Amino acid sequence: MENRIVVKCKNVGKTFIQGKEENEVLKGVNLAIKEEEFVVLFGLAETGKTTLLNLIAGLEPVTEGTIEVNDEIVDGPKPNRGMVYQTTSLFPWLTVLGNVEFGPAVQGIKKTERRKKAQYYIDLVGLSGFEKTYPIKLSGGMKQRVGIARAYCNEPKVILMDEPFGHLDAQTRYLMEEEIERICAKEKRTVIFVTNNIEEAVYLADRILVLSDKPSHIVKEYQIDLPRPRNITAKEFLRLRKEITDFVERSAGEVDG
Amino acid sequence: MAGPEEVFALICKYFIEPVGRTTLFGHIGASLGRVLIGYSIASLAGVTLGLAMGYSKTVRAIAAPLFNIVRPIPAVAWIPMTILWLGIGEAAKIFIIFIGGFANTVINSMSGVRTVDPVLIGAAQLLGASKWQTFRRVILPSSFPYVFAGLQISLSGSWMSVLAAEMVSSHEGVGWLIITGMNNANTAQIMAGMIPIGVVGFILVSLMRWIEKKLCAWNDRSR
Amino acid sequence: MAKKNARDSRIWLSIQKEKKEKRKYVLISCASLLTFLLIWELCTDILKLAPSYAMPSPLKVFRSFVAKLYQTAPDGSTLPVHIGVSVYTALLGFLMGAVIGSPLGILMAWFKTLDRIVKPVFDVLRPIPPIAWIPIMLVVLGIGTASKVAVIFMASFVPCVINAYSGIKQTNEVHIWVGKTFGASRSQLLFRVAIPTAMPMIFTGIKVSLGASWMALVAAELLASSSGLGYMIQIARSVGRADIIIVGMLMIGVISMLFSAALEYLERRFVKGVK
Repeated sequence: MENRIVVKCKNVGKTFIQGKEENEVLKGVNLAIKEEEFVVLFGLAETGKTTLLNLIAGLEPVTEGTIEVNDEIVDGPKPNRGMVYQTTSLFPWLTVLGNVEFGPAVQGIKKTERRKKAQYYIDLVGLSGFEKTYPIKLSGGMKQRVGIARAYCNEPKVILMDEPFGHLDAQTRYLMEEEIERICAKEKRTVIFVTNNIEEAVYLADRILVLSDKPSHIVKEYQIDLPRPRNITAKEFLRLRKEITDFVERSAGEVDG
Repeated sequence: MAGPEEVFALICKYFIEPVGRTTLFGHIGASLGRVLIGYSIASLAGVTLGLAMGYSKTVRAIAAPLFNIVRPIPAVAWIPMTILWLGIGEAAKIFIIFIGGFANTVINSMSGVRTVDPVLIGAAQLLGASKWQTFRRVILPSSFPYVFAGLQISLSGSWMSVLAAEMVSSHEGVGWLIITGMNNANTAQIMAGMIPIGVVGFILVSLMRWIEKKLCAWNDRSR
Repeated sequence: MAKKNARDSRIWLSIQKEKKEKRKYVLISCASLLTFLLIWELCTDILKLAPSYAMPSPLKVFRSFVAKLYQTAPDGSTLPVHIGVSVYTALLGFLMGAVIGSPLGILMAWFKTLDRIVKPVFDVLRPIPPIAWIPIMLVVLGIGTASKVAVIFMASFVPCVINAYSGIKQTNEVHIWVGKTFGASRSQLLFRVAIPTAMPMIFTGIKVSLGASWMALVAAELLASSSGLGYMIQIARSVGRADIIIVGMLMIGVISMLFSAALEYLERRFVKGVK
């Protein structure tokens, strides 16, 4: 059961057409993600990381190939996938509690039950006491915590995280990475995490998939078997970090040269 | 021109003694009553049409050409036609007030729906919301500040239109008060009507602002 | 090669789809307008559901429009003359209001003393709708251009002042600091920092003013006048000529649209740094 494949991309391609301009973002993406695996999609700016995530979420249609989640072909957004966004996509007119229980509420789960559930996840992300606060009153890090709780509370099969800490300051970012580590240790889920930060990738991932420049496809894969929670100054950690950095710089250089 | 003391004394007098059919309170009440009816109808119809036009391209394609022809015609320009159709009774006045509030409500409601952040819609769909749930739980609340801004503008528009309607023909109301002042060349009476008009307008605007603050506590604008 | 063709045909298909989509909605719009006119025609000329003095057919309205271009009946002037009088009066009052109002608003926001003296007067004037000025102006200045211009002046003056005032007040403090660090004098700060920042707001005020001016003019002409579009529709009502009322209303709407289009053009030309 441990090794069941949950997300499968077969030869996925995505081309945006705007007027007469054609923009091929993804081409020939193949990947398979196992249950309860934490996979980091790594790519520099302007690679198709976010696009790939949107395709898996079903927010945009694929141009070529197929994506399967839970053995079902993706053809639209469905609650078996949850998303944590780059910038806050919280519903500003709902309180923290309202945001977290949105998923269960639209799926018709009874009030007492969904309250209990929402409270569990609010406590899990460390926001106890902020249930009745509106997002506008929260800091960037707290907003992302709500986003994470909202995605988890819907109990999706796969959680997609699109550079969730990209807009946070360095200090908060470290803190949130530790939080994700803690949350994932407690609530095991399949996670696809997008980032352009190598340290973040090595710290969080079971496996790192490196995307090439546009049209992007997966050029390299790293299995990270370091024990958790990881120490970002450990020798092995630094070695891996350097190895990946070297690879990325080399492949970026090839294009420039 | 009447001096300030004279106008002030007259306003005080009008509060107690009737001018025409009723006291100043009665006139204000008559005008407000008309506004309440016309404005409520305009709000209901305007928000419904605006939301529908914002949500559905087809509805927008059907309604936009006619709406765009009618929209730039100010409410006062409807007065002669309204009198021809509905006579000079209450129905005519309420219709003018309706026109005075309708267009802005439609436009603001429409742009409210059209400026909903698509990321929020995607987020709701991923959390399992159906089409109707997305409309009710995301599009509606997210366009609310716009809708409300439209309602505020149109309340001012309706209040102005009631004056115009009453000035053209009526037996009571603040518009009647200033127009009879004009017919008797009584500047004191005109000003004794203008000041309450301004005060009531101010109270209506403040009231709307207060309601907005209460209802849109989550929004940037009212912070 | 085959691959390139596949890609080209994909683009072509997508463009075709987009075009088709656009055409569909234009078609719906045209159909909607035509249906409206047809139903109108059906109810009036053919089924005669309403008496023609209250609801003329669209054809009748069109014929009246053409006839009114050179005929003076029933109100004494041709349509172009009425339009000329109305536009002239409205622009006169509007320009006076804008030319005096916008600078006054700027000065009020910039000089505290002036603010303290003039602001209370404004807080009283602001909530009075322009229409409410009509009776007093008519009594004081009599029926004629002067009273109408005065009403329109009030209609355009107040929003110009208020918008210019809040535009200047919104000037970003950081910009002022930057200006000061570079050694700008107070008048340089006003002309090079505050006024450019306030330009979009000032323009908003001017746009609101023009709309209000036009409405106030129609109201003033309805109540007391001897020419102009408002007068024309008022007379048409008293003689039961709904066709002329509709012609007048449509003209009022069209001119209002032209006014806003002209201002939008000017705004794009003169206000830099927005959109």
